[in-house]
Amino acid sequence: MKTARTLPALLVGAALLLPAACSDPGASTADTGSGDSAAAEWPEATADLAGTELTIWAAQNSNTVPEAVVAAFEEATGASVEVETIPDPYEQSVQTRVATGDKPDLAFWQPTGSQLSALNATQNLQPLDDAPYLENYKPELRDLTGMLDDTRYAALIKSPAVIGVYYNKEVLEENGITETPTSFDDMVETGRELQEAGVTPFFEMGGDRWATQWWVQVQLADAAADGLWDEINANETSFTDPVVLDTIDTYQGLVEDGLFNEDYKTATFEDEGDALLAGDVAMVVQVNSFFGQLQSKADTAELDEKIGYFPISPGGNVGTNIPDQSNALVAFATGDDDREAAARQLLNYWLSEGYPTFVEDQQTVSLQTEVPNPDGVPEALISENEALADSVGSMQSLAVANPDLYIYLADMLQGATTPQEVAEQTQAQFAELARAQGVEAFDE
Amino acid sequence: MAQGTEVRERSATPSAPSARRGPRLFGPADPRHASSYPVSFLLPAFAVLLVFFFLPTVYNFVYAFTDWSSFKAEINFVGADNFERLLSNGDLLRALRITVVYAVLVALFQNLFGLLLAVLLENDTRVNRLSRVFLFIPVLMSALAVGYIFQALLKPDGALNAVLTRVSGDEVSTAWLGSTTWTIVVVAVIHGWKWMGLSMLIYLAGLKTIDGQLIEASKLDGTTAWQRFVHVRFPLLAPAVTFNVATALLGSLNSFDIVQATTGGGPARSTELLNIFIYRTFGQGLFAQATTMSLVLFLTVALMAFPVVGLLRRRENVL
Repeated sequence: MKTARTLPALLVGAALLLPAACSDPGASTADTGSGDSAAAEWPEATADLAGTELTIWAAQNSNTVPEAVVAAFEEATGASVEVETIPDPYEQSVQTRVATGDKPDLAFWQPTGSQLSALNATQNLQPLDDAPYLENYKPELRDLTGMLDDTRYAALIKSPAVIGVYYNKEVLEENGITETPTSFDDMVETGRELQEAGVTPFFEMGGDRWATQWWVQVQLADAAADGLWDEINANETSFTDPVVLDTIDTYQGLVEDGLFNEDYKTATFEDEGDALLAGDVAMVVQVNSFFGQLQSKADTAELDEKIGYFPISPGGNVGTNIPDQSNALVAFATGDDDREAAARQLLNYWLSEGYPTFVEDQQTVSLQTEVPNPDGVPEALISENEALADSVGSMQSLAVANPDLYIYLADMLQGATTPQEVAEQTQAQFAELARAQGVEAFDE
Repeated sequence: MAQGTEVRERSATPSAPSARRGPRLFGPADPRHASSYPVSFLLPAFAVLLVFFFLPTVYNFVYAFTDWSSFKAEINFVGADNFERLLSNGDLLRALRITVVYAVLVALFQNLFGLLLAVLLENDTRVNRLSRVFLFIPVLMSALAVGYIFQALLKPDGALNAVLTRVSGDEVSTAWLGSTTWTIVVVAVIHGWKWMGLSMLIYLAGLKTIDGQLIEASKLDGTTAWQRFVHVRFPLLAPAVTFNVATALLGSLNSFDIVQATTGGGPARSTELLNIFIYRTFGQGLFAQATTMSLVLFLTVALMAFPVVGLLRRRENVL
């Protein structure tokens, strides 16, 4: 009897709490940080910050990136900076935390439009439009990425990845190939020659899935330059139109022709690195996290001797850039003015006085005119960076949403779906995400 | 406090069978219940239950009817929009079908393994006791660890193929987790293996409670061991079967960790359970859609629980 009466009481209690629940907890500080609150001030890079505590969120593969520069910053300003590792899958974990109202001062983040809107940048992030460090960048790299609706939200610290081809120099040489391919078709032709000579031309890691999209994206480079992604964003072109569908068909055709490793369905990222280093495969279409993988397996001298890189596109050697999470940082609008200013100061320090320390420590290519590349950066990384200047944006960079194209392609590799279905699934998910974002063309 | 008075008045009536009366929340202790616990002791537990279970479930219902996402700050009600979309594109039903198939397979394997082990290890010999301990260890292991270990064992260049290669003399490189048809069975076997120790324990307890006289009587009737098992012991295990099947079936509808660690939903999403699909959708920032799916899962579990438990209980009535 008693329980019969307490239950309605509980329901009423719960109902009273509902209105509170229906406001997005992640938006509680919505008005403090966003754009128009006058142009933000940028403190001197080394201004005193004694007693200020900052938190940087990083992923398992980026948590050592800030070490040296942060130590130098702490030394110079007296601030205390904690680098907190957020568990993988990083993007997902960060989005969930931000959605529940938990925010750091700075975080590593993929500086692409689709990923910035996934964080609801206009509400949650500090605009970085008039940052003093912008003039330090090489001019062609300054506006490459990090923007959403003409506002800058991300600071690029490392050379963004460029989808291209890592090849084993020795394998090509042994088979009498002295010039690297000059177009996608040329590359496929080279692949067929190698296949005839008994060499596995290409590698795919269907087990880990995420690299499957590179084969489609490099084929889209020319269309991307002609505004493909704008058309897809406007719902004028679909993934099921020939311009995209044909590239999926081509990819599947190459797989069926046996141009890939035998275990392409189950092979992993790890296997891919081993195979290229060992010369079991001639070429791998990948991004620079793959090179990081190679660096963990071989030293610079061996890499310079064995591994080369060239960008590829249907019409030539144009790369497709895809900045990733370890390439950039965003500053959160936390609502605390002092800490927000301190976060900007850290970015400013990182990309001005601290930058030489940073590139030296990371052995990475410099993005700035005044800061030279440290000695010992592998050649392939320099080639990849050189490809950046005339590269085109990837789907992640230019499309408003980032559908799981790679998953659908991996399904196709397993023989479960057709290229047509891959295109349909990708388009459906893209539309769903675009609609959730309120993109007009997808509103019904 | 009017209710408290009512209870006191009623309990003052000597003829009222006190055991039948509802538990008291407040008020001075009834002398006849003094030795028992005051019901108010349950309040902290109920408070926890309310905050961490009841409210989230209510919100689960509410958010399913909104457009909550990571892309914008405001949350609007959109009616049954999410349900319509999810049902129309087929992904939800596909994941739901996979989930149910998986749960049925897990229930099957877990109980089969558990029952076999219980019958094998029924006698209290030293070897049997030790074996029971070892077979219970997987139950205590982290599900993710189990998943990752099996993933490594079953890789094309993993330990299983290495052993098979050594034994058979031929190179074996089967991708045990590579088939879009059979991988779900393999993963269900792994799940069954992890939890078989628990089923074994419950079946053992069930076997121990069977009256020895019944067994003796059937022996005198000249039955074989197999007949005794089929016609006497197994029917008497019905309560254990009810518990084991219901927990295995309904528990594995909510499965996530083992499958995520072993296959991540692959190959070709043939093992993408609803929970993995929800996880992926949530990760896309589509919080409302993910909530809608978890509501569907909740309803599915509830809808399956009643008939399954009811059916199994009816089996017990035959006893």
